[in-house]
Amino acid sequence: MIQSPLSLSAFLNRSLCLLALPLCAAAEMAPLADDVLSDVSGQGGIYLSGDVSINELGGPIENSYFGRCDDVTKKCGARLAYRLKDTGGWMVLDELRGSFAFEGLTLGMRTIDSGFAGDGELFNGDVLEFGLPNTVRFDDVRFKIAASNTPRPTDPGFQQTDIFSVEMQGSVIMEGNLLVFPAGNP
Amino acid sequence: MNNAHSLKLILKKTGPRSILFSIVLGSQAPAFAELQSLDDGQLSEVDGAGIGLVLDNFTFSHGTDQPDQNGEQARVFKISGIKSTDGRDVDITVNHLYIAGADSNYGQNLSPVNLGRLMNPWRIDVVDGDDVGIPNKAILEFAAPTKLAPTAGFDCNGGSAVAGSGACSSRPATSTWRGERADIGFQMNVAVGNDRSSNLNFHARSAVIDGSYIRLWGDDERKQMAGEFRFNLYSPEVSINACSLDGVTCGSRITMTDFALELAIGNKYQPIFFDVDASGNFLLEVGTIAAPASGQIAANGLRDGSDAGTWDFYNDYYSNPEYRSNLHIGNFSVGSKDFGPARMEGMLIQHLKIQTQDLAQ
Repeated sequence: MIQSPLSLSAFLNRSLCLLALPLCAAAEMAPLADDVLSDVSGQGGIYLSGDVSINELGGPIENSYFGRCDDVTKKCGARLAYRLKDTGGWMVLDELRGSFAFEGLTLGMRTIDSGFAGDGELFNGDVLEFGLPNTVRFDDVRFKIAASNTPRPTDPGFQQTDIFSVEMQGSVIMEGNLLVFPAGNP
Repeated sequence: MNNAHSLKLILKKTGPRSILFSIVLGSQAPAFAELQSLDDGQLSEVDGAGIGLVLDNFTFSHGTDQPDQNGEQARVFKISGIKSTDGRDVDITVNHLYIAGADSNYGQNLSPVNLGRLMNPWRIDVVDGDDVGIPNKAILEFAAPTKLAPTAGFDCNGGSAVAGSGACSSRPATSTWRGERADIGFQMNVAVGNDRSSNLNFHARSAVIDGSYIRLWGDDERKQMAGEFRFNLYSPEVSINACSLDGVTCGSRITMTDFALELAIGNKYQPIFFDVDASGNFLLEVGTIAAPASGQIAANGLRDGSDAGTWDFYNDYYSNPEYRSNLHIGNFSVGSKDFGPARMEGMLIQHLKIQTQDLAQ
């Protein structure tokens, strides 16, 4: 069916009116001063449990072609390459794989105005608080630090020197809170 | 009148919809035109608030002390990929790595500690290079708590130091406060092929790293990442000993009391440069010092009679303690034998070049 010019015009006008609406709403916003903002107190926080796998065991398929981490001619795991000099070679974090799991990472705001052996009173401000999860379980987490002349293994003339590799397994005790806040002189 | 006339003309030509479009679009367009790029010099003036980090009530421990019932080590933290000269695989197994509160009895009793103070935290910041002697650069800085004036803080080596006794801002533990000085240690062993060495233990009690930092920036001339690195470690007692793999028998403990390491690699005249060469080998270089603009130094070496700028340049280079590395050990002992104090002071790296070489090639 061919639309009549009239209905197109009506449609456009309506759409444009709708577009104009948010502009009106934006005008209602007013900035909050620093001291007003400092009185805002959020309720609770976030509780996170995580299980992160990166190319663990070569991914979802493992057969004679895909996901063969034991085949040295194939690459397994994530690769991050960065260059430190114009026309220079590449530093590489290679074959990053494995999984780690944690339970009970919390995220919240905390007002500190006491404690810390006298520092809290002087500080008297808000911080972002990450509650560390007590234990983090590493399952066959591996990565390799290397240096190579091209960013990708598929590039022509690729040469790479593996410097060392790291393997982590088991539970790591990580207790406490990480407090993050602005510092310095803005 | 003219405006009304032209509006009428447009209305005739294009109709109301286009007018509405141009009004809506026109009202937003100026905002895009406002964006401008900042050059290096302008960017170096940017001094935003950095991010402060404090670890409160913190304990970290990784690795295994005991194998499980099958003799397997349940937790593994292994560094490998290295080969010995005769081609055997070398791996370094870290059995235990801990960061905990004071008086942990070499990692046996882990209690919490604070790292960083609210008023003097760990920082990630972009700083103005003009303030730290690297002109016209924006510098990314990762810094531990700073040091204070010599008598405004706490003695860096004193495990029970009181306020006003030294320059470190991190406080030792007291009966009412866990303090900001951590017991740090690790146990590791090295295996070459099937030969596994004894366990090597390293412990630092009530350790402070105040005043340490890493600064990174881009060098225009070399088009390369440049850096300045300073690592301070103060501890009332650093000890190293070796134990059998089952931990039953241990050799003599090498103890260094009142340990103070101030390591400076790279400075504003000689930054460290990081690179990877064309064959994929890592390269770390501390360049030789760039000479100042030509100017004479008097034969007697005094400022009078010398070119003032040149003299000041060399005077700063040779006398500024910030560029020099020091190591102080209050007492060095092996077992019950004391060897007395050791000091290495004022070491300045004039040129350093480290390159990895793949022996397989």
